[in-house]
Amino acid sequence: MRIYEMTAGDIASKVRRKELSATECMEEIAERIGRVEPFVGAFLHLNLDEAMRQARAIDNLPSGERERLPLAGVPVAVKDNMATQTMPTTAASKILEGFVAPYDATVVSRLRHAGAVIVGKTNMDEFAMGSSTEHSAYQLTRNPWDQDRVPGGSSGGSAAAVAAQMVPVALGSDTGGSIRQPASYCGVTGFKPTYGRVSRYGLIAFASSLDQIGPLARNVDDASLIYEVIAGYDPLDASSLRVEKALPKATDVSWANVRIGVPKQYGSSGLDAGVQARLAEVISRLESQGASVVEVSLPHTEYAIAAYYLVAPAEASSNLSRFDGVRYGYRAPGADLLEMYENTRAQGFGEEVKRRILLGTHALSAGYYDAYYLKAQKIRTLIRQDFEQAFAAVDVILTPTTPDLAFRFGEKSQDPLQMYLSDVYTVTANLAGIPAISTPAGLAGGLPVGMQWLGPIMGEESLLHIARGFEKLWPSEGWPALGGDA
Amino acid sequence: MNSTYEVIIGLEVHVELKTQSKLFCSCSTEFGADPNTHTCPVCLGMPGVLPVLNEAAVACAVKAALALNCTVHPFSKFDRKQYFYPDLPKAYQISQYDEPLAEHGSVPIVIDGAVAKTVAVRRIHMEEDAGKLNHLGQRLGDAKGSMVDLNRAGVPLVEIVSEPDMRSADEARLYLTELRNILSYLDISDLRMEEGSMRCDANVSLRPLDYHGSLEDLPRVEIKNVNSIRNVYRGIEYEIARQAEKMGRGERIVKETRGFDDQNGRTYSQRSKEEANDYRYFPEPDLPPLVLTASYIEEAAQSLPPSSMAIRQELAEAGVTANDAEVIVADRASLVYWRSATAVFADKRQVTNWMLSDVSRLLNAYGDTFWTARVGPQALADLLALIERGTLSGRMAKEVLDRMYETGGRAEDIVQSMGVSQITDKAAIQTVVQQVVAGNPHVVQDYLSGKDKALGFLVGQVMKQTKGQAKPDMVNAILKDVMADYAKA
Amino acid sequence: MALSEEQVKHVARLARLRLETGDIAQVTRDLGRVLDYMTQLNAVDTENVEPTMHVIGLAMPLREDRVEPSLTAEAALKNAPDPRDNMFGVPRIMDGGDS
Repeated sequence: MRIYEMTAGDIASKVRRKELSATECMEEIAERIGRVEPFVGAFLHLNLDEAMRQARAIDNLPSGERERLPLAGVPVAVKDNMATQTMPTTAASKILEGFVAPYDATVVSRLRHAGAVIVGKTNMDEFAMGSSTEHSAYQLTRNPWDQDRVPGGSSGGSAAAVAAQMVPVALGSDTGGSIRQPASYCGVTGFKPTYGRVSRYGLIAFASSLDQIGPLARNVDDASLIYEVIAGYDPLDASSLRVEKALPKATDVSWANVRIGVPKQYGSSGLDAGVQARLAEVISRLESQGASVVEVSLPHTEYAIAAYYLVAPAEASSNLSRFDGVRYGYRAPGADLLEMYENTRAQGFGEEVKRRILLGTHALSAGYYDAYYLKAQKIRTLIRQDFEQAFAAVDVILTPTTPDLAFRFGEKSQDPLQMYLSDVYTVTANLAGIPAISTPAGLAGGLPVGMQWLGPIMGEESLLHIARGFEKLWPSEGWPALGGDA
Repeated sequence: MNSTYEVIIGLEVHVELKTQSKLFCSCSTEFGADPNTHTCPVCLGMPGVLPVLNEAAVACAVKAALALNCTVHPFSKFDRKQYFYPDLPKAYQISQYDEPLAEHGSVPIVIDGAVAKTVAVRRIHMEEDAGKLNHLGQRLGDAKGSMVDLNRAGVPLVEIVSEPDMRSADEARLYLTELRNILSYLDISDLRMEEGSMRCDANVSLRPLDYHGSLEDLPRVEIKNVNSIRNVYRGIEYEIARQAEKMGRGERIVKETRGFDDQNGRTYSQRSKEEANDYRYFPEPDLPPLVLTASYIEEAAQSLPPSSMAIRQELAEAGVTANDAEVIVADRASLVYWRSATAVFADKRQVTNWMLSDVSRLLNAYGDTFWTARVGPQALADLLALIERGTLSGRMAKEVLDRMYETGGRAEDIVQSMGVSQITDKAAIQTVVQQVVAGNPHVVQDYLSGKDKALGFLVGQVMKQTKGQAKPDMVNAILKDVMADYAKA
Repeated sequence: MALSEEQVKHVARLARLRLETGDIAQVTRDLGRVLDYMTQLNAVDTENVEPTMHVIGLAMPLREDRVEPSLTAEAALKNAPDPRDNMFGVPRIMDGGDS
């Protein structure tokens, strides 16, 4: 087995035991990135020299210290909306071109302290607004399974980097599905923890009440490993949870004791036939293992997209106000302050970001707040209550992650509303704050299909346990051949 | 006062809280540092940062709310107030909008030591301060532009909003004075208007007597950021006259924001509020609600110092006149000094008199305050004890006080070194008196024939011979005795 | 609940986004379509529903009032487009600037 094919867990345990040096690992990863990245375009910034230095530093640690590192020598890619002191942080926006943060995001420092080696920053939709990574101001990222297709988004670079085996694990952020949807399109595992589990300090805010950082990985164990490192209370984030994080049991799942809910509202029109067929197969395989699969009702799901596309842009319009050309980032000339502001923001933000800022500003403006923002936040309460009721009867809820498969570049970007509607399965988890994970469930027409598992608030332990159990039932399809791979 | 309208005044007062660190980050709040040296990613509004609330700011704000008789809400929340301006790094200010920390308080307006009126406090809430703009060239709008220093950005403030209960500039002045008195005992702010640690915006409108609609609907002029209580008074006076004149001419009053020019005592238009700002308030998603337990609020209430009215009562009972009491009530340092001095010297009126006359004179001369007075309460008490014991006359004591202030020495040491100790030895005085009586037979004759004034001359002669050190009342008594003997003789 | 071009201009002004005259019609149509989609929310009775402002019912954590080192002025201004005398330069401010 090549090093780049290894899981993060294997790399870490070998580096801890000195069966593999972090340097050797990093050398092979650098070689892999050099060979494959030109076909994928996953990274906005690579800092391989710095990564090699970090790897050497880990190898040089006294063994007692190295043995305590849960991610010893593990190469990790980080989405470009998380602050790093050693690399630019642009959120794939022109308005932050060249910006180097004077601080590390909490997740980044936790990764470093755990012995991880950060190789680079991954491409994304600008400020995480989009589902295809086509809204990056800098470059396209290609789906490793089909280079004519999008990797999904907004964490498209992270998903593609993992699927292309350039890194075993990466961090993404998920505001309405931005970890799970690209994970699904790229055939990897993507996990969004409960809101507040992972510190948002250093994550460039899109919609503060919905954003959550999580891992993308090639299996559930690696996702859990990263989760274990990055989760936990952070005094720098007032919304972070003070409760102990729960890790999955190592035992096998006894499916006879698992109650799985399938929402009746989710099987509606617009669901790709290939995805639908795969869902049916998944259900029958789970049932054959003895799991009880029952229909659950989430009646307010039909309003989720409308509520989400009011709450998220409203918060975004506020969060993105700080990009004003005064303290950092891009500034356009202007004869006076007002002109400078208006030119800077018009030129610095891309079309989709501007569209959402306008939408969100309108939703908060005098005379519209009650009808839009407040109304949407009330719908959110109803959606939460739907889940609370459903989880009284089932342990986990199963849906496809997306109604469709990875699409071709340009295929959907012409119609914003159509693009928004494809988030239908993922946004409810953010609106309700619950944990959700997307795991691969084979291919349809050569493209990956993802299944989404939703758990109750702080139900990570059981959710990850079940997802890992499912992974065993559904062997991997392997990984796409790229850049001369045999 | 014009009889066709009533003056309506409401005040919004911002008070900077005296915490070590800022409201939402750990940068220092210290005044006067080099530009942008008290900044961090949080108060610079860098991408990705989050606010974390300072517990001391909450404690200060709760104290202020309780001292202003407000109901402190067990549940309040923070909101974002959004507008673009270079001194506001995130382009929103974290404030409290519809669920503030506290509401429904009051401030007494005190005249001659008694409550003449009570002004209702609508609300008190916490928010973060903005940075400071330095304008290149002469003023805002100069072609060269401006420069932003964010050291003040994020310093904790409370905003105290009164109801529109004041009816004259004088009431506004008294409200502000009493508000400052009350807050000063809490030691939560420097309360220096000239440095901006206390700021006042005054809303002034005139209600025509035949108008009976809502006061909120009257066209209101807001006078912004006036830098002293006196200038608030002047600004309001000017504004009343300006609006009255316009109304007299039948012109409409425009809702607007006006500045105050203290050179010419006038307000001037800054910005028309016709097109109201749309601040797009919404709940701050980065901060959960502030939950205060009943026991927390109760403990804060228990720890409050006595109120300004209780202090007035205390001073009145000590025999301090209402006028003197106002001086002490308005200066917490003097109150602390007064209490320390009266604890060690029983004659409280005497302490008050000396504090407010001679000690104050020296504080002014040396640029000190009662906090930094070089003659402390114990030293003053020691001096007053020498007067009481008769060692010093009042006049001599003033000189001794001056020397004490100058040198930092103790009263008794200075009395010794100056050789000014009062002569209280009856025999010694008698000797001098007999010489004076013997040397001035005509004057003695005048006195004995009923010219009382003659006594003064003789006393003066005795004092002159003793270099002013003889105790005056003893001189008086002995002179009378000696002359009585002289008459018999 | 369609949107007028005037409203779009007003919102763009609030958001400090210059819209080119040629783009206003398109932006108005796009936003109008999205807002039309939102009108379905009116069908939901939310009369007695509390809004979810925070998805987890946390109470405010408080930070001890302790000063930590700040950035140097140099670090604070490192990314500044127009640093002047250790301050952030901005073009001239006309007419209050914030209305």
